[in-house]
Order: sequence, then structure tokens, then C-alpha cells
Amino acid sequence: MLLFRDEEHVDQWCAVRDLPRGATITPEQTWRLADGWYRNKVKPDWRRHTLEETEALLSSIGLTSAFWNLRG
Amino acid sequence: MTERANDLDLLARDIRIHVFREAAATARVPQAPDISRALGRSETDVRAALHELAAAKVLILAPNEGDIWAANPFCAVPSGFRVAAAGKHYWGICIWDALGIAAAIGSDAVISAPCGDCGVAMTLEVRDGDLVRSEGVVHFAIPAHHWWDNIGFT
Repeated sequence: MLLFRDEEHVDQWCAVRDLPRGATITPEQTWRLADGWYRNKVKPDWRRHTLEETEALLSSIGLTSAFWNLRG
Repeated sequence: MTERANDLDLLARDIRIHVFREAAATARVPQAPDISRALGRSETDVRAALHELAAAKVLILAPNEGDIWAANPFCAVPSGFRVAAAGKHYWGICIWDALGIAAAIGSDAVISAPCGDCGVAMTLEVRDGDLVRSEGVVHFAIPAHHWWDNIGFT
């Protein structure tokens, strides 16, 4: 996951690599994703999120399109 | 479960706790020889347990030598995603993980990262649990259900 100055720079990056465009989200959404994903990672009783928990996290940030579908 | 497999599971748990605690406290991800010394276990056992942790997607091993590449969000080697927090400098393997370091250590943080296209330096800042300084957009190249197909690229 890379940070870009704006959408135009994303387009250029994809074009140079002949890659299809993925999805862009705001740094604020990324922070909320990172916070939900990693907040407990250092704790001894950490465990992986379940699929349902991860789906709820993505949904809470507004990431609900097919791109964010974890079930393939 | 065999006694050997059970022992490896317990060791993997101890290693997970040690590695992440060390990475958070020191900004340095310990490698197999360090872990072996700290936990008093053979390096062979430690490496076997690290492979178990990697298979469980708890951390990521470098492809060739099998060292820890990232106890994500903590990257073991310097990267473009630098995090200044708690008086130390950490690295993440991507912008998600760089922000994840602030979350994992529960600290204010200033994140420096280049634009993926042109390389211009950009800055994000987390303070009191909020993102208070922000610029740019974050691009996910890979759909969510394929993230772990090639996590280095994702």
C-alpha cells in the first residue's frame, strides 16, 4: 500500500507498470484501518481477527465495494 | 497433537510475544540468533517456530535466508516508510503498516513516506489517537482477498 500525492500520480504509477488500477482511500481511512488491525498486535493475548471481524472493520470505514470482499 | 508439535506451538507463542514486545520497545526486530539467546532455545527450534508463525501470517520471513523481514507492522530493515515515535525511529513495509506502528505502540507518531510515483516526501501525523496531519491518497493495488498471495507486493 503506497501513498501518492494525488489520483493523477496513482494513474501514472499504474500506467508505467501496466497494472490495473486498484482502489484509493484517504489517509484517514487508512489510519482507522491500521488502528483496528494492529492496535492489539503487541499484546500477549493477541489473536488474528476472524473473517467476520475483518469484514466489520472494513465496513466500518466504508470499504464495502467488491474490491474489499475478503471471500473471493 | 504430538509432543514435538505441541512444544513448537508453545515456543511459537513465546517467540511471538518476545519479538513484538522487543520491536515495540526498541524499534529493532530481533532475529533468530537474538531470540535463541533471549529464550534459551536452540536456533534450529527458533527457526522452525518462526516458519510456523510465518505460515500463520503472524510475521513475514525474507524469501531466501529466512530472517524476519517484518513482524508487521514493524519492518526489520530500513524502508521508505519511516515512523518517528516515542523517541525512536521505526520502519513499516507500507503506509498501512507505518500507521499501524503508531496504533500498535499506542503513541503519537510522525510518518514520513515518499509519493509512490514521483518520490516527493510526504508527512502524516498521529496525535492522541487521531490523524491530525494528512496529505495525499493511499492506493491498494491488490483486491482484499488476494492480499496474502504475494504480501511483499501488496
